[in-house]
Amino acid sequence: MRPFAPEFILAVIPDLLPYLGVTMAVALGSIVAGSLFGTLLAWAKLSASTLLRRLAVAYTYAIRCTPPIVLLFIVFYGLPKFFLEVFNVNINSYDKIFFVVVSFTLLFAAPVSEVMRSAYQSIDRGQYEAAVSSGLSPWQAFYHIVLPQAAVIGLPNFGNSVLSLLKEGSLAYTVGLVDLIGRGQMIIAHHYGAYAIETYLALALFYLLLTLGVEKSFLQLERRYSRQKHNGEEAGYGY
Amino acid sequence: MDINYQFLEQTFYLVLAAVPTTLNLTVTSLLLSLPLAFFMALVRLRRTRYVSGFVGAYITLLRGTPIVLQILLIYSLLPSLLHALVGTLGWTINVFDWNPILYAYLVFTLNTTALLAEVFRSALGSIERGQMEAALCAGLTKVQAYVHILIPQALVTALPNICNVTVNLIKGTSLAFLMTVKDMTAVAKVAASYGYNYIEAYLDVFAGYIIICSIVQVLFVFAESHVGRFRLIKQK
Repeated sequence: MRPFAPEFILAVIPDLLPYLGVTMAVALGSIVAGSLFGTLLAWAKLSASTLLRRLAVAYTYAIRCTPPIVLLFIVFYGLPKFFLEVFNVNINSYDKIFFVVVSFTLLFAAPVSEVMRSAYQSIDRGQYEAAVSSGLSPWQAFYHIVLPQAAVIGLPNFGNSVLSLLKEGSLAYTVGLVDLIGRGQMIIAHHYGAYAIETYLALALFYLLLTLGVEKSFLQLERRYSRQKHNGEEAGYGY
Repeated sequence: MDINYQFLEQTFYLVLAAVPTTLNLTVTSLLLSLPLAFFMALVRLRRTRYVSGFVGAYITLLRGTPIVLQILLIYSLLPSLLHALVGTLGWTINVFDWNPILYAYLVFTLNTTALLAEVFRSALGSIERGQMEAALCAGLTKVQAYVHILIPQALVTALPNICNVTVNLIKGTSLAFLMTVKDMTAVAKVAASYGYNYIEAYLDVFAGYIIICSIVQVLFVFAESHVGRFRLIKQK
């Protein structure tokens, strides 16, 4: 067995670093698009229409039970076929990152819609009513009164969802996207399978720093905004 | 969209036949990690010197890296390491003949232990100290206090999270194919590759996971209503 070469862990980092951008692009793209879709789902779950509610709940349930890799493969193989036959558009030549971002958007939207729904419902209805009766429009009442409070409550859970997404994003290499892990696999192949352990350790280091950084940032955000949290019990409104 | 329904049906039975492998992976890893995670939680709560820091680092490491990476790392490291070890000991066992499911057990146990340790820590930590003190005063031993007083109460808050960890573990076992374990995903992948029927195959897997996860979640609902009677009634 070849001896372990710890210096290779450091040597491989400059080679991996440029691909951090791809990993981050997948994560950011999925977070932005997934949050939008998640908002839509949360709105559907809170809507008066039974059909919309059921659809949104069923979607969330299905995603919760689906392994990310299975969803990724279904999108990767199914979406081009679907587009070709329904819209007669050929998207086979699209970059792989497109399919990856679509998959993780679908995946991220489900937990985020739950985060949003529960955060919204945790805000007392009286807040909204008081705002509207003091002359704010329904939109203003939502935007200025309900949303800031709900955002603070939802922040920790949103952070957890982002962390899971970041880790699940590492599956993108299985459809051939050259992100951090994809590049790592290429490096290993270049060395005919040698230095696999060292490369994987370097990748683990990347992910560890990334997740710790995200975790710390969310804690910081929480600390900064929790001042605004309206706490009825502490203020003595008597529950 | 033209879907090969015949293939869809045939592969569904193939996927169903691989359900035992997925369940085997899940149940074995869960049973192995339950006691480990419990002791890690105790170590963390008691802040045992050195050990607590070590366990904390382990949990951070396992929770901070993707499970794919853990699989790739262990599967590229362990077989050759064991082979070298066996070689130096002069044994004549061929490590490479071992069933790869052993490595899958290891990865999923290590991962689940880290997740469950955090669940147990917060559940046990949420129980008042007075409970333990009262139990000891009433003449119970420490072990009895844990078994009869603390653990039943901790389960009330822990079960929903244990359910989450279990569902995530079931989903995580879909990556066992990276270690050449023939679970649902692997079987479907192989069946699909003959005629490029990937969509049908993965739709079958999708259905398979929804069925398994649904059954597991129903079981947890039963379990939750069972332990619900241990819930502490707060006196005003």
